[in-house]
Amino acid sequence: MCKRYWSLLLALVLLLSACDLLPDLMGGASRGISETSIWAMDTQMDLQLYGDTDGAVMTELTSLLNALDRELSVTSDGSALYALNEGGETDNETILKLASKAKDVSALSGGALDITLYPASLAWGFTTHNYRVVPAEELEALRDKVGMEKITISDGKLRIPAGTMLDLGALAKGYAADCCRAKMEAAGISGILSLGGNLQTVGTKPDGEDWIVGLQDPENPAGFCLTLKFPGSKAAVSSGDYQRFFQRDEIRYCHILDPKTLAPVQGSLRAVTVIADEGLYADALSTALFVMGREAGEAFWRQQGDFQAVWIEADGRVFVTPELKSRVLEGSFEVIDP
Amino acid sequence: MKTRSWGLLLGTVFLILAALALGQRLSFSPAATAQVYADGRLVRTLDLSAEGEYRIESAEGWNLLTVRDGRLTVTAASCPNGDCLRCGAKNTNPPIVCLPNRVSVQFSDGGTVDGVVR
Repeated sequence: MCKRYWSLLLALVLLLSACDLLPDLMGGASRGISETSIWAMDTQMDLQLYGDTDGAVMTELTSLLNALDRELSVTSDGSALYALNEGGETDNETILKLASKAKDVSALSGGALDITLYPASLAWGFTTHNYRVVPAEELEALRDKVGMEKITISDGKLRIPAGTMLDLGALAKGYAADCCRAKMEAAGISGILSLGGNLQTVGTKPDGEDWIVGLQDPENPAGFCLTLKFPGSKAAVSSGDYQRFFQRDEIRYCHILDPKTLAPVQGSLRAVTVIADEGLYADALSTALFVMGREAGEAFWRQQGDFQAVWIEADGRVFVTPELKSRVLEGSFEVIDP
Repeated sequence: MKTRSWGLLLGTVFLILAALALGQRLSFSPAATAQVYADGRLVRTLDLSAEGEYRIESAEGWNLLTVRDGRLTVTAASCPNGDCLRCGAKNTNPPIVCLPNRVSVQFSDGGTVDGVVR
């Protein structure tokens, strides 16, 4: 009896080992993984697709991202956005769409999102890397050039007065993720896209499991403050003070400017992550929520209710909206009141 | 007796399956190679078992990568914020990203997550 038991057990172990090895033996080919990295929109973009057997979708996505880069670059003199900032008028459909969304989110958030801050961003040196602390009187003098009310959209055209300049950096990658997602869904393939840290999951993983997503720890670029599971297609976007910033006299100046002060946001937040169905919305909101701070952001979430969020405070505390509680796999957090 | 044997057998199978599932879930295999990207292009694949120093040049600056004891560290860089220098010695994802220099390092088969929100 004992012999028979151990023989059966041995056979089972061998069978299970073979099963475990099978996926490795079959390699990526059976799962049809393809990966590409490109540099676009001033950041690295990593695309991982499942089921793109002939590479056609990957080619389409990289072309799309490069085209959006050329269209929406604020610094390249051939772009539609550059032409708008020079000439004051455009009928470019992408710019109209993004600016309309920015106006909506700005209105909803009490002006926390402002895409006209480019002159102030230039003064602080965030585009040129020639960083400096801008004196208050110089910022005051820039007031005439900024403000969402400067943007008018009518008859299929967007107009801005001379001196006003738009920067769509707070929206462009989110919009790009939406465009990529639409193309992937039309082609019936799944995958995960990292557009400079903006994450877009599309469809389900080939093994049917949820996507596992890590939120970078602002204090430790090599670690996560939370890991979460994402079912299906979602956009996740973070805004924080830890990616693009400079320091003077031990004060950190981040690239996200407060529309009220035209100066880098100086709050108690290190980062905000927004998770939503639409990348454009998540991108716009993450900037707005970072500017608003946690308390106002929580109130905004209660008012809107159409996104999930994670707030990371400077003291290391992490706050999540209630729906995320069951999705956290690892990390300490507190749940905000519903 | 016969029922008891089958019970034992099924119990053992269950334990093995549970151990395998847990092993799969918790697996955290260090990468053997690291892929180095500059300006969005793959510029080098480094064998993490071979010690060495590699200076990676991009359009925006440079990063010095040191491979030792199966791990990769950014030991010097021209970037202003030094985030890449603070990543320490690594052989697992998340990737090391130096945004100002447009340089990143990814580790093959070395991560526990599908993607990272930065």
